[in-house]
Amino acid sequence: MKVLCVAEKPSISKAVAGHLSGGSFSTHNTRNKFIKNYSFDFDFGQQWGPSSVTMTCVTGHLTNVEFTSEYKNWSHPPPESLFTAPIVTSDKKDIAKNIADQAKYARLLVIWTDCDREGEHIGQEIVDAAKKGNAGIQVKRAKFSNVERAHVLSAARRLIELDEKQVNAVAARIELDLRIGYAFTRFITNNLKHLGGPLADLVLSYGSCQFPTLGFVVDRYFRVKNFVPEPFWGISLMHNKEGKQVRFSWARNRLFDRMTVVLLYERCLAAKKAKVTKVQEKPTRKFKPLPLTTVELQKAATRLLRMSGQQAMTIAEGLYNKGFISYPRTETDRFDKGMNLKALVQKQTTDQRWGPFAQGLVNGGFQQPREGKHDDKAHPPIHPIAHVAPTTLTYDEGRLYEYVTRRFLACCAEDAKGMATDIDVQFGDEHFSTRGVIVLERNYLDVYIYENWTDTTELPRFTVGEQFEPTEAMMTEGKTSPPNYLTEADLIALMDANGIGTDATMAEHIQKIQDREYVATTTRGGTAATEGNDDEPEEAPATRGGRGRGRGGRGRGGGGSGSARGGRGSGLKVFVPTQLGVALILGFDRMSFETSLGKPFLRKEMELQMKAICQGNTTRRAVLDQSIAQYRQVFLQSQEQVGVLKQACREFVFGQGPRT
Amino acid sequence: MDLVPQLRRAILAQSLPPPSQTLLATLTSRSPPPPMPSLLATAKARLLASDLTNTSGTVVDTSMPAFPPNIDSAAVQNSSLPQNTHVQVLDIENLSLSRWEQVEELEAIERGERTRGRQVIRVTDEENGEADGSSSSAGQTQASRAGAASGGTNAMHRLVLQDGRGKKVFAVELRRVGGIGIGKTHIGEKMLLKAGAVVARGTVLLTPETCTLLGGKIDAWHEAWMEGRLARLRESVGADRPQ
Repeated sequence: MKVLCVAEKPSISKAVAGHLSGGSFSTHNTRNKFIKNYSFDFDFGQQWGPSSVTMTCVTGHLTNVEFTSEYKNWSHPPPESLFTAPIVTSDKKDIAKNIADQAKYARLLVIWTDCDREGEHIGQEIVDAAKKGNAGIQVKRAKFSNVERAHVLSAARRLIELDEKQVNAVAARIELDLRIGYAFTRFITNNLKHLGGPLADLVLSYGSCQFPTLGFVVDRYFRVKNFVPEPFWGISLMHNKEGKQVRFSWARNRLFDRMTVVLLYERCLAAKKAKVTKVQEKPTRKFKPLPLTTVELQKAATRLLRMSGQQAMTIAEGLYNKGFISYPRTETDRFDKGMNLKALVQKQTTDQRWGPFAQGLVNGGFQQPREGKHDDKAHPPIHPIAHVAPTTLTYDEGRLYEYVTRRFLACCAEDAKGMATDIDVQFGDEHFSTRGVIVLERNYLDVYIYENWTDTTELPRFTVGEQFEPTEAMMTEGKTSPPNYLTEADLIALMDANGIGTDATMAEHIQKIQDREYVATTTRGGTAATEGNDDEPEEAPATRGGRGRGRGGRGRGGGGSGSARGGRGSGLKVFVPTQLGVALILGFDRMSFETSLGKPFLRKEMELQMKAICQGNTTRRAVLDQSIAQYRQVFLQSQEQVGVLKQACREFVFGQGPRT
Repeated sequence: MDLVPQLRRAILAQSLPPPSQTLLATLTSRSPPPPMPSLLATAKARLLASDLTNTSGTVVDTSMPAFPPNIDSAAVQNSSLPQNTHVQVLDIENLSLSRWEQVEELEAIERGERTRGRQVIRVTDEENGEADGSSSSAGQTQASRAGAASGGTNAMHRLVLQDGRGKKVFAVELRRVGGIGIGKTHIGEKMLLKAGAVVARGTVLLTPETCTLLGGKIDAWHEAWMEGRLARLRESVGADRPQ
């Protein structure tokens, strides 16, 4: 029997072929220079048995949706017609033909795309291509989340069905992104072009994720800019005993009224003596980290490794393709009970840096990781699959691999343990407290170098009921300070909390608003250092919304394109909007219809609809109808009030207008 | 008929402000008189919605106890209230939050948003109906903020309280009083300050033992207060000048 296997990208195709064939396969070139067909024999078991296999791949999405040629012109037919204009699908011809040709000889097609929503949709695209060559071919899907040998072999012998609901959800998303992105991009660009100046030749792209992302940056910018500092007052208490100095903090922390603090302070002084009301010594612990998700990986990479989120994802994808780490796109922060984590720890024992720690876990220190609340039911948390010597990796790959591995080992270790002493005192009517901590066992901290926990200064002995005259009681004064501009980690956290983009696409949206010169980066405390901009004119970037995950192929989703930019500089990189970015967001905000495009609400709703399709609670058609109607309504309203948007541009981009 | 003294006793038993003879007479004048529970409920509603400083004597007894004359003297470090005193709330501020923080929150609500942690939540029409609804959503936000370090169990509020003679004094929560809070405490709400309550430098120190919240509000005052709150906060931080 003949079987055709198709993976999502060349590296997976090769890795899977290697494992299934045991290393002996023959390679045939195709008309696409990146794609090879591998032939070998494999026993799929079940009803299939020993088979002669051809393994090939696609390069990400196989098809592309676009408007028909009558709609190529930007001003006519008018952009609003794009909400209902006909859409055609085209495919990557040589790749599709290769699949159709190979399908002719096969009875079974096995889909090996990544196990997530986009992968499911790509799987369907492959099925469509294969059926052109062999309408009667049977279809199965391999469910896997890393390309480690045993995992791949077991996936091949436990084939499942393609999930049609996920396919439909992605199809809906693709169509919505196309229509909404094109319509608004053309609308904004056409209207603002007439203002001339820097706007004359710009493509002002709109994307349903891009704009809310920009909205967060603009919102924070104004919170910083409009901030009004205020004075506050407090009471600090210090006491010397047994040659040790102890500071107590006020239960009220601080108050924004001087008179009231003076009054309370006076009553403290009048009482003369403070009284110890509680002395409690109890064990305390610092929790080890949760298993690693994509969002957390990106946050850590931007914060600790000073990579951009997109760089981190590109590198992680590379490490996954090489079989070093598990699939890096996951929302799951709990390991399945059935997973043999100890075996994974065992593989790390040879490392020079953390080998001894891993050995300690193997020798009995192993603890089951904590369990978070998220489970995407597709992939485990990100973890190392194999040990890699640092010499075989690039500098950045090495650092990211190190983070993933140390995090994993930390998850399998024990919490750090210490002893805490809490002392409460009452002074007049006011309450004060202090806490001393002594670290007893560092445990996971020994391997997780990104966190620390240290002893506080040692506290003198106090007993309940003891009275003392404090060495010093002072009224203090301070001033509130503005929030900071958003770091990439902050921005990712905001997008995550508000359902903007998926964990897989957030970094890409952040990159996009920089490419479009809607935001610039600056070093915290430093001066603005606008990123280089090498944009090629491109119609509606939003149409790639859900994708561009470095899956090669179309456009420049490709590996490494993100790695040239992004700050590896000194300070922490933060985002500020450009004048154009401010104008776009305020322009839409001021139109004062119910939900500005700069706010996350519309997009969040769309994301929830996608989930609903996946769960079978609604259909692709219903979602399309509803979302298109919704965005079309917003479009018509925007059109009516386009003057508001233009005014915002005059004001911020050209520095004219009534407001300052 | 011993209906009048009976009703008076019932009212006083609930710590409500003492009723005027006129109120008692009006309520009991119907024949046959309504049952005592509904009489009491009517009296309570009238008393709590009334302005204590109204000297016409139609609702509250104008001879009810008032603050001692020197209560607001900043020179007196420590004194205490000589007798139980009924007051009404004229203003409330949260001293634990910066005014600007409260301005940002109110502005977000005006835009139709609330924040819960990092999440931006749209306030829909159902949640945020008319004047009353907006007060409750302010209250919810307050409550959700209260969980944060600055609010909650350690929040400290300052109130402006007024007695029956129109005397106004500041009062602060020396210890947290559960029913006091922005969005919870209404303007015109009545309170009973008990004899022995400490007054320091002209400010009444509130504790759960020395003050009883009786509820009620004066609608017109409360609405005006709600409407003017953002402007007052902006003014007090100097952000009221044109931007």
